[in-house]
Amino acid sequence: MRELTYVEALREMMSQEMRENENVFLMGEDIGVYGGAFGVTRGMIEEFGPERVRNTPISEAGITGSAIGSALTGMQPIVELQFSDFITIAMDQLANQAAKLRYMYGGKGNVPMVLRTPAGSGTGAAAQHSQSLEAWVAHIPGLKVVQPSTAYDAKGLLKAAIDDPNPVIFYEHKLLYKTSSEDVPEEPYSIPLGQADVKREGEDVTIIATTVMVHRALEAAKSLAEEGISVEVIDPRSIVPLDEETIIQSVIKTNRVVVAHEAVKRGGYGGEIASMITESEAFDFLDAPVKRLGASPVPVPYNPELEKAMTPQTEDLIRAVKDTLNRE
Amino acid sequence: MLNSVQLYPEKSNDELLSLLKEMWTIRFFDEKVDEFFAKGMIHGTTHLCVGQEVTATGPCAVIKEEDKITSTHRGHGHCIAKGADINRMMAELFGRSTGYCKGKGGSMHIADVEKGNLGANGIVGGGIPLATGAALTSKMKQKDEVILSYFGDGAANEGSFHESLNIASIWNLPVIFICENNQYGMSGSVKEMVNIEHIADRATAYGIPGKVVDGNDLIEVMNETHEAVKHARDGKGPVLIEAKTYRWKGHSKSDARKYRTREEEQAWKEADGIKRFRDLLISEEIVTEEAADNLRKEAKQEVEDAVKYAEDSPEPSIDTLMEDVYA
Amino acid sequence: MAKEIFMPKLSSTMETGTILQWLKNEGDPVEMGEPVFEVMSDKINIEVEAYEEGVLLKKYYEVDEVVPVNTVVGYIGEENEEVPDTAPAGEEEKAEEPVSEAIEENTLETTTDKTDTSKVRATPAARRAAKEKGVSLFEVTGTGPKQRIHQDDVHLHAEEDGQQELKASPLARKWAEADNVNLENVEGSGPRNKIYTRDLTSQSEQIDEPERVPMQGIRKVVADRMTESASNVPHVTLYSDIDMTEAIRLRSQLQDKMVEKTGYKLSYTEIIAKAVAVTLKRHPYLNASLNEEKNEIILHQEVNIGIAVATEQGLVVPVVSKTDQKGFTELVKETKQLGESARKQQLQPNQMQGGTFTISNLGMYAVDGFTPIINQPEAAILGVGRMKETPVGVNGNIELRPMMAFSLSFDHRIVDGAPAAAFLTDLKHALESPYELLM
Repeated sequence: MRELTYVEALREMMSQEMRENENVFLMGEDIGVYGGAFGVTRGMIEEFGPERVRNTPISEAGITGSAIGSALTGMQPIVELQFSDFITIAMDQLANQAAKLRYMYGGKGNVPMVLRTPAGSGTGAAAQHSQSLEAWVAHIPGLKVVQPSTAYDAKGLLKAAIDDPNPVIFYEHKLLYKTSSEDVPEEPYSIPLGQADVKREGEDVTIIATTVMVHRALEAAKSLAEEGISVEVIDPRSIVPLDEETIIQSVIKTNRVVVAHEAVKRGGYGGEIASMITESEAFDFLDAPVKRLGASPVPVPYNPELEKAMTPQTEDLIRAVKDTLNRE
Repeated sequence: MLNSVQLYPEKSNDELLSLLKEMWTIRFFDEKVDEFFAKGMIHGTTHLCVGQEVTATGPCAVIKEEDKITSTHRGHGHCIAKGADINRMMAELFGRSTGYCKGKGGSMHIADVEKGNLGANGIVGGGIPLATGAALTSKMKQKDEVILSYFGDGAANEGSFHESLNIASIWNLPVIFICENNQYGMSGSVKEMVNIEHIADRATAYGIPGKVVDGNDLIEVMNETHEAVKHARDGKGPVLIEAKTYRWKGHSKSDARKYRTREEEQAWKEADGIKRFRDLLISEEIVTEEAADNLRKEAKQEVEDAVKYAEDSPEPSIDTLMEDVYA
Repeated sequence: MAKEIFMPKLSSTMETGTILQWLKNEGDPVEMGEPVFEVMSDKINIEVEAYEEGVLLKKYYEVDEVVPVNTVVGYIGEENEEVPDTAPAGEEEKAEEPVSEAIEENTLETTTDKTDTSKVRATPAARRAAKEKGVSLFEVTGTGPKQRIHQDDVHLHAEEDGQQELKASPLARKWAEADNVNLENVEGSGPRNKIYTRDLTSQSEQIDEPERVPMQGIRKVVADRMTESASNVPHVTLYSDIDMTEAIRLRSQLQDKMVEKTGYKLSYTEIIAKAVAVTLKRHPYLNASLNEEKNEIILHQEVNIGIAVATEQGLVVPVVSKTDQKGFTELVKETKQLGESARKQQLQPNQMQGGTFTISNLGMYAVDGFTPIINQPEAAILGVGRMKETPVGVNGNIELRPMMAFSLSFDHRIVDGAPAAAFLTDLKHALESPYELLM
């Protein structure tokens, strides 16, 4: 099978879709010859031209609003926001327009758009360029929220997101762009939104992790296996819709659960997942309190050691798993 | 005293020389930062203002110490021009506890509120409403303070720009909007992103004066800013100044600059504003070539000293992570 | 809506009931007031009647199963109505009705409620496991933070329990399998009753299997209460032989009239009960009980004598209320009827409540005296042995007199030796001059 990076997988999927479907086009700041802030669209303007790879002014609300309007009238725009922090500037358009139009119009009209945007810390970009604000959008009915953690998932989920008639917020992660999967098929494929992936099977503790935390959870699982602790790692892949069943069944099996994300723990989506578990039939199988891991409630600091201290690391996951097992 | 050109604000020869040195400091500072990033000695990202020293130094040279500025992601020059200590700036870039933000802000977030620098900003157009608000304070408290708001051509397409200019206009606020038009957003050329010749033309839409200046001509920049500040201080409201300039380097640390030609870059470099001002001072016999070179060396040495200061500074303790955050 | 059938709480001390038989099958129609099942409590057997009419939808427990009080044992409702597949968890013990509280206060035993585990620190999974395995969380040691009980703690507890029953060496297991011996019937001689091969040898030589009777119902209650009383109450027992000459005379003089009037014979039990009751009125500290929680002694106004009755299931104590105020006729009738009900296991709960003093009469056996265990929370109990002709000195001569062996056990916390001795002396006088009882 082919090895492809996360960035390449995204680019390949967009390109394949644009070759097949003339409604699909890209909008964003510096996505032309610059190739996008993280190089995702590199080379695409050369193939598809400036009409379909539209370099925009620095106007996040304007770009997002235009995408919504074009989607409502038959196009399938893919918007790139350079940093997901800027979603705050586009928030009115997303929350009050994209999410609600179909509902407000009594089921008439669709907004088949995808808003791709990188989140996450670890690059030293500090407070305004490192946030993980997925809980903001997940809270709003009408928006789907996808968070691929691997190149393979990125390609399949992007296809599903483009095909979806709803607005989809597609969270990429800066630290994952250069990671690769060994088994990315060349032909297009779709991974349904709302289908979690068990990234590693285990018996003792379930870790539910998103994006970059999936990799830290897998590292933790590997290290814990050496101590005889068997960890199951579940990647929801999309938090809206959320694959509750896979999570519940895993918790029933393992009796213990750690929910980990990079976003600030307070008000983070992990709280939603934890509540869902305790409200479900898995409650009677819980043998330890549901453990949540998330960032400290502080803006992302610049200093690399402070930045690391703010977000859950592999060691934190190992500690959390042991806590649920009452082990030192 | 200058003879060949007219300078509106009064500046002694020593003051003119210190402006020359300041611009060199700005340039060497950012060249040094560029070197460190290239070597991977500093993490994160940074935005360099090499080539834009005049637009940083000029406006700050004509305001009072108690006047305030808001800056941008490309803000090292503004910071130095507003009187910041380059030791503490460099320490911040190194993420050290002695930095302006105790290592928590980095390049994009340096601020020195006590010195009237309300901060660099990582959000394009993020500082414009802040400046408008600061001007509102000045007006309501009759503080006689003027606010300079630096932003780029890219920010002129953000909603915050339009909304702020309108508000400042209808309320007659003492704020000078300084658009450093360095020709490119990130890769987006202003020619592609704006359908008018000058950003300053937009002033008309808000009923305020709009001026276009040569961003490589320190005298012109100072003169126009001086007039604008006077206008604002006289209670006549905001002014939009567009300074045409050029960022010599890429947008940030990894920019292949495929969106522009090397010839274009070369042409702008030849119009270097620092060299132009140096030549003026020599031709006016305010400084000899040798003295100018010494000034240049001093600026360079001070940057080296700042590096040493930063390197010798301690890393912040992990215990400081939760300090200074709002509830 | 289907209505639950609960295991009734038939007395203040009843914690569990044993289902003796179901009088209805699932699917049978049930009228309101019709008996649905028979239960054996700590003291009695009783038929439990339906409060609803409808169809018996579900029986959760089989005959001989021991069920905590207030547990749902079944459902009555409309045909085909859905009810849970497994028995719902038991409710918290309901508070006694306020009206009966005043009356029962004297006899109410203070027991820790061992059915409500909701305040035990345990994970949901541990609770589920405990329920599945029938383990009480009170008995499980928690290994988590703040002694929180986890699932594994319950499993470990259940395993250890299981191992206690069936701890055997591997070789012993093999032999047992080969010889078709049930290890459950083998007494292990090793540590914690571990079974070794030598135990199997002795087992195979044994021809008669011992009969194993489960400790339940009345037997279990008697066991618990006797253990509690014997281990918690400082008992002192006083002995006195009482000359029953006059009592015999009284009895024979009243006998014909008594049979005529009541159909029952006057027995020594009633004469003794009357004598005790009258004497107790002068010795309030012997007609008392201790409330340990409030740290107070309750001196009862009424004298209610409990008469210990042996039944096949075990000891029960019906109570003759206001014994001191009753004439012999009334006393005989009541005592005899209570005795019959007791032997037929038809005593109602209220017939066993309110006792202030107990008499245990073993006089019909060749018993010359014994140390009775106090029926808690009463202050004293009188043990009665056999009557036998004994040579005694009377006015310088040796005479044979019908002497009866009395023993009085008292709670030394409530009363001291001298007042107890005074009571016994007064009682002796009353029985030796029994005509005064008729006054």
